[in-house]
Amino acid sequence: MRPPAEHVHWLFATGFLLLGLCLLAEAIVGVDVWRRRAWRAYLWPGAIFLVGVVMWPVTLASAWSPVHMFGHGWWAQVAMVAGATQLALVRGKLTSRYWTLMVPLALFSSGAATLLHDQGSWLFARSQFVHNLAGWALIGGAIFPLGQTFRPRSWVFNGGFAAVIIAAAVILYTDRDLAPIFGHLSPDAGVPRR
Amino acid sequence: MRRLLLVAALAALVLPSVALAHANIQGTTPGYRERVEAPPRAIVLKFDQRATALPGAIEVRAASGKLVPTPARTRPGDARAVEAPLPRLSKGAYTVRWRVLSVDGHVISGVYTFGVRHPAPPPTEAVGASGPTTAEHIVRWAYFLALALLVGGLGLRLLVVPRAAPAALERRLYAVTGIGVAAAVQIGIAAFLLRADGVLDVPFGRFLYADLQPIETGSRLGAAFIAMTLGYVLAASFLFLAWLLDRTVLLWPAFLLALGFASGFSISGHQASGPDSSWLSQLADWVHLSAALLWTGGLASLVLVLWPTAPGLRREAFSRFSRLATALVALLLAAGIYMSVLRLPQLDDLWSESYGQVLLVKLGLVAVALAWGALHHFLVRPALDRLAGEGLLVRVQRSLLGEGAVGMAILLVAAILVDTKPPPEPAAPPAQASTVAAPPRAPGGQPGAAGARRSRVLAGRKPATAGGLSGSAPRPPSAAGRAPRRASARALRRSTPPLRRAAPRP
Repeated sequence: MRPPAEHVHWLFATGFLLLGLCLLAEAIVGVDVWRRRAWRAYLWPGAIFLVGVVMWPVTLASAWSPVHMFGHGWWAQVAMVAGATQLALVRGKLTSRYWTLMVPLALFSSGAATLLHDQGSWLFARSQFVHNLAGWALIGGAIFPLGQTFRPRSWVFNGGFAAVIIAAAVILYTDRDLAPIFGHLSPDAGVPRR
Repeated sequence: MRRLLLVAALAALVLPSVALAHANIQGTTPGYRERVEAPPRAIVLKFDQRATALPGAIEVRAASGKLVPTPARTRPGDARAVEAPLPRLSKGAYTVRWRVLSVDGHVISGVYTFGVRHPAPPPTEAVGASGPTTAEHIVRWAYFLALALLVGGLGLRLLVVPRAAPAALERRLYAVTGIGVAAAVQIGIAAFLLRADGVLDVPFGRFLYADLQPIETGSRLGAAFIAMTLGYVLAASFLFLAWLLDRTVLLWPAFLLALGFASGFSISGHQASGPDSSWLSQLADWVHLSAALLWTGGLASLVLVLWPTAPGLRREAFSRFSRLATALVALLLAAGIYMSVLRLPQLDDLWSESYGQVLLVKLGLVAVALAWGALHHFLVRPALDRLAGEGLLVRVQRSLLGEGAVGMAILLVAAILVDTKPPPEPAAPPAQASTVAAPPRAPGGQPGAAGARRSRVLAGRKPATAGGLSGSAPRPPSAAGRAPRRASARALRRSTPPLRRAAPRP
């Protein structure tokens, strides 16, 4: 029995929201204060790795088309890789700070996969608007973890990264149907479903 | 700040409704692989958004390949449904191929099967589905190699290398097994999509938006694909945690998952889909494959991982692996002989059937590998115990590389073998001898499906033989129903050789 797609999106959105809030808290109080409890250092990398693992059943259930499967599979893999490298850095198994580049790479490629997974112009319908917004938010948002690689204590980069994750959560919560957005812009978009 | 965040979260939570992109199919009448007792009056496809019927939007073919006239149209009063009225269908299996235009401009395609007072074949055996290609052989071989690296590397670490291993050995072992598990997941997806492409038979641009649901949910291929992918993702997670936490014990679940989910080949291969399938035949298939992966993968890991990184462990590891390999070879042979007898009851099938010929090549390579292994076990191992010099160890490495290369070649032939159809069962003893040779059989066992086969051959495509991830096809039951038991089949073959030769093979 496959759960409705929107429920699955809400589940992931909730996970991302909690993750984003934790990152925001870390950005506000600073890394030193945040890591006074050792386990907190593992919190977001562990969570993002888990998100990647949990994304696999979703990938396999996304059999509507190969392009869906590609998109979800890519997100699952980059989440696992980004989480794994961050966990290894925290644990000391990896030492080069350049391993943190996996996070901006993951965000950038996830954005590209989002755009490819549902092509269409921004204002065709709400679904396309949300996919375009999500894709470009992730691509543009990759600048923040990129900056973190070189300025790990920067409030701007840390806060910006948290904001990107929260934005991703909000986008995952929002409508992605054929309803018109900002008025009826395309006759092909059909009528609102609600 | 806290209040602001709370408001933002609540605002986000009240927004959600339906998650959509382009049109997705929500249901069909008749359903995927549904067996209906009364002929359906129409094919109806229901989508989650508006869909426009293209010319020839719904194509229905009987098992013979004959096209059933079906003028498709968008359903009056429901823009999300496309329907095609049907003439009265006779008993048999039918294939439905459809394509509609989604409102976002993408053409969505799909294929499924149903049966009228007749079991519907899996979509992998739909009329028009093509058989495994050379690319699929190569991908399957790569899949075997990836699994061998994973299973063999973990097996070497857990069963051969002592508890405390040098750090360099650990690092390389994790790298090799990590590559193995990542490749297994990626290549598994590629193998599934390649097979789906053969089933859907649409251009690449349309394949990207084609419906995979019937293939994933209605065939052994789909079941094996899901099980194996999830199993290997879990194995990858345990492997990563073992490396991260320096806990070798976490390699055990990874090893058991990797071994266990290799059975995906067994649940989707010949032994599971043939009429003589039993738990014993599937178990034999799994034992055969697992032993082969552990043997060849362990050999590769011994040469590529242990030899360069742990010189002090070479003698002991070689000796231990030699003992392990002896047990693996015994399992491999026992299961292999059992399956060969099951699939090829007649000795002459070995040279008269294409399946037998490929098996013969495999047996030849296995004989070479066995001889090589015996040389290592009976000559090299005692010599290593006697001699202290390093010279012999260098030569042993080259020799192990040679044996490993033969093992890889065996996996390649195995990849081709699982795509090759075993000889069909002879037909049931007929009431009249003349009817034995006459009724042709087709994939899926639909009576009279030779026409479908002819149509595919005319279209320049190989007929479908794939019923599983291994690309293997179930042996079709005879036109008269399920194939007879093995003993009566042998008796029939002995008594009626001219008729058997005359009967066309599916």
